[in-house]
Amino acid sequence: MMNRTIRIILAAILAAIVAFPILYAFSMSFFSIIDFTDSYAHFLPSTLSLRNYVLALSHRNFPRYIFNSVMTSTLLSVLRIMITIPAAFAFSHLEFKRRKMLLGVMISTLFIPSDALLYENYSTVAALGLLDTYAAIILPSIFSASSLLMLYGAFSSGSRYVYDAARIDGSGDIRYMAEILTPLSGPFITTILMQSFITSFNSYLWPLIVTSRDSMRTVQIGLAMLGFAEEGERGAEFAAVMIITIPFLVLLAAGRRTIMKALVNPKED
Amino acid sequence: MIKKKAEPYLLILPALVLALAFYIVPFLRSVIFSFLRITQGGELIGIAGLDNYRSLFADRAFLSSIWHTLLFVLLFIPVNTFLTLSAAALTRRKRKHGAIFEFIFFSPLAVSLSAYAAIFSEMFRGRVSIINRIFSLDMLWLESPESAMVALVALSVFLDFGLDYILLLSAFRTVDRSMIEAAEIDGCGSLSTLFHIELPAIRNMLLVTIFLALKDAVLISAPVMLLTEGGPYRSTETIMYYYYLEAFRSSNLQKGRAISSLMVVLSALIVTLMGRRRNDE
Repeated sequence: MMNRTIRIILAAILAAIVAFPILYAFSMSFFSIIDFTDSYAHFLPSTLSLRNYVLALSHRNFPRYIFNSVMTSTLLSVLRIMITIPAAFAFSHLEFKRRKMLLGVMISTLFIPSDALLYENYSTVAALGLLDTYAAIILPSIFSASSLLMLYGAFSSGSRYVYDAARIDGSGDIRYMAEILTPLSGPFITTILMQSFITSFNSYLWPLIVTSRDSMRTVQIGLAMLGFAEEGERGAEFAAVMIITIPFLVLLAAGRRTIMKALVNPKED
Repeated sequence: MIKKKAEPYLLILPALVLALAFYIVPFLRSVIFSFLRITQGGELIGIAGLDNYRSLFADRAFLSSIWHTLLFVLLFIPVNTFLTLSAAALTRRKRKHGAIFEFIFFSPLAVSLSAYAAIFSEMFRGRVSIINRIFSLDMLWLESPESAMVALVALSVFLDFGLDYILLLSAFRTVDRSMIEAAEIDGCGSLSTLFHIELPAIRNMLLVTIFLALKDAVLISAPVMLLTEGGPYRSTETIMYYYYLEAFRSSNLQKGRAISSLMVVLSALIVTLMGRRRNDE
């Protein structure tokens, strides 16, 4: 009994710490200008009004930043799946010369952090004339060694009989991938899509470097460029923070178990 | 027949091209160029040998960026490990109302980097900050070197918290139930079950989490850029932030390449060590 009380108290303290920044941001998203400039720091807004949310949503660029982020993250996730499935299929189902070597080369990129290649990749993208495009934002991260490794593992553990049977039925490899392999590996594909979307949505340095026009900025960069703080409208900045955070919180609340399973090990489905 | 032979190569082609173009080739170029003498304009004028590395290690700003990174790692890893492990241990059994705690500990996953950075800048801003009010302090957190580092560590803990918590929680939940029950029948309290049965059982996952955190910590740059911009007095300039400044602000490409080569080796080392752990499982 004693133990139980202590455990709950400790968990509650830790939970309060972890939740504090989000709750505080939520509170600040309703702050009026005076709440920020008062002689002591407020916990709660002095009045309740949606003015900050109106300001954030009617900001010249903010909706565009969100649009760019959602577009690039979606494109990246879909393209990553589209190049990874055929590659993982070839490595796991087909025999060809230099198979081991090619797989090794591609997996070895796991050891190369792309942050350390910022400049070299920038010069590649610049040389291709792609600066300030969606292509520039997503191109270097479409290939992911960890996604390839995961699908390769999933495809390899599947039964060969299904593939052989499909071949005898005269179904081509492309059809086999689309109609049999992909549905069979659903959980893995969901995992990759989800991880890719989150990573891409959160990426900061790379999109910062390859974009310069306001209309091409993603929300991660745009958030710091809204200029609300300079106008004294700090509250609107936090309304913007909440606007991009709440959808993810809702998704998390709705699919906590699925997300946990997907992020840790999709195998157990 | 020709088509059959080419098929596997065509299937891997897009992935292979991207892997080569954005990982392998730039990495090799970075390493090779770091041993050459190249002008600011990009003209090759000879072999530099170790000169670029020598001038890098003669650069006081780079040396202090190593120190700042080390300091960050030494603060971040223990705090991060302790907090995520505590949260996972406290919620490891499924209980009534446990879902609320679980959701709260998950929630940092929903908050993106720049959102947290904006919140933390505000929480630590000026004398009239909420942190000062909560702890009854009167500090200018982001204006003095030590406390700016503390704020940076705090931000980074929140950035990694959600994922590390999930990894540890699911490790706890895959521990063999029969071992735990046997210990409980033997009269082990929940605390001693935790320390004697469960923690040893999740040791590998714990180490993997620590290595992941270590790799992120060693490469930290974006949170620095958003929260402190390396300041005050360059006291939070980490290695990768310094790399960014050298490569993109000062156009000191050769120095940048030397740093990026060294960092690839370092992070590859960490990933290798981590891979060993994972295989042990």
